[in-house]
Amino acid sequence: MIVFSKGLRDFTDTIKALPLSFFFAWGDTKARYRRSFLGPFWLVIGTAIGVAGLGFLWSQLLNVEKSVFIPSLCIGLVIWQLISGCIMEAPSIMVQNARLIKNIKTPFLFFPLQLLLRQMINFAHNLLVVVAVLLIFPPSINFSQILIIPGIVLVVGNLFWISALISLISARYRDVGPLITSFMPLMFFLTPVIYRPSQLAMSEYIAWMNPLTYLITLIRDPIEGLTPSLYVYVVSMVSLIFGTALTVIFLGKKYNRIAFWV
Amino acid sequence: MTSLIFENVSLQYPIYNAQSMSLRSKIVQLGTGGKVSKRASGVITVQALDDVSFELKDGDAVGITGHNGAGKTTLLRAMAGIYNPISGNICRSGRVTTIIEIGAGLDDELSGYENIYRMGMLLGANYSEMDSRIESIGEFTELGAFLELPVHTYSSGMKMRLMFAVSTSVKPEILLIDEMFGTGDVAFQLRAQKRMEEMISEAKIFVFASHSEELIKRFCNRRFVLSHGKLVEAIL
Repeated sequence: MIVFSKGLRDFTDTIKALPLSFFFAWGDTKARYRRSFLGPFWLVIGTAIGVAGLGFLWSQLLNVEKSVFIPSLCIGLVIWQLISGCIMEAPSIMVQNARLIKNIKTPFLFFPLQLLLRQMINFAHNLLVVVAVLLIFPPSINFSQILIIPGIVLVVGNLFWISALISLISARYRDVGPLITSFMPLMFFLTPVIYRPSQLAMSEYIAWMNPLTYLITLIRDPIEGLTPSLYVYVVSMVSLIFGTALTVIFLGKKYNRIAFWV
Repeated sequence: MTSLIFENVSLQYPIYNAQSMSLRSKIVQLGTGGKVSKRASGVITVQALDDVSFELKDGDAVGITGHNGAGKTTLLRAMAGIYNPISGNICRSGRVTTIIEIGAGLDDELSGYENIYRMGMLLGANYSEMDSRIESIGEFTELGAFLELPVHTYSSGMKMRLMFAVSTSVKPEILLIDEMFGTGDVAFQLRAQKRMEEMISEAKIFVFASHSEELIKRFCNRRFVLSHGKLVEAIL
């Protein structure tokens, strides 16, 4: 119980530091694009070019209607950037902040939270591309669009514990980072970003064994006016609760060691 | 009422080599197990603090001396709650502020002003509190127009001024400072001394690790000597 309470205290301290974390994430974003004229909009341009290029090329290759394919690809890519940004950067954040950890008492989960917020700032910028694409290829507007909000909440909540757990484990085992880096390009193709799970026909169940499929579906389907199946929500809720609990317990158990790991 | 109490605190410091940081060797270890894995695990532990006990209360200004590697910095980190002991108890009441390494918590790409906000908020102030203090902090550092420049252009003495100004402006109740305090120039040290004296007179705890007898005599009213992780109180 004592180990659990240590992790939990770190968790609540982190939540209390949310404004501070946002301030830091915003500062990071500013620092990254300092001295560039367009700033974070370089990211938006990159996404726009990617969507336009890949959209026209792949819709030809796969022989799919552009008005169906491009919005789906665009939303998929933007969500994928959020997910992969968190997962790819998570292994390095504890080590990057080692000096801070060793000098000023800070809750450990502060750093994954900062990463998540920075990725969400990028995501918010990228939504401009999504809006532009949806103006060109308007989706059907219906009640499903309300589900965008719980969708984003579930994705963000799940990404938080995933990034936190990865960052803690890779502070101890340094080859987790390269391992993740080498798997992510493969994951891009295994996750229905370019295609839809239903296009896999008989093998659709394989896509649903991939946790990232749920994260994409939770946001993409409601934006396009589709309602995700109930089990998508059930699985995401269960993973949010168990994942967060697991992270908090792991953190509590290793709490005294982390400062020595980094 | 500020206090800091150590009761029989022992702290071991694990040092991980490349092998112990590797997931692969951990997995191989699981497969082989037994005695070999213990020796091959590659984690060396150093006894950094050994049965340390003391009690600090309002108005205590402690100088810590000891040769290199005696455990001064580790003791400061344990006081701050950054390192946790393997046995014994640490009882801490009061807001702790640390200045251990120069530049820790500063973002080199951001300007001096932006870093004052960052540091201050890290140490527990909120944005509007920092807004009201920014002017007096800027003044205290005497960095003037340099505060507009990114921190990577600063010398270590300038970083030290910035960190000291911010750390003392958030009204710390327990202030822990390591060695590098000596890097400021004479004029700055005099001002720092005045601020320290104000703080100590406001009945707060101040701990200062240094090799300089002179600085310790100037700032402190108690003195601890660390050697091989053991702590003894010496007469000042």
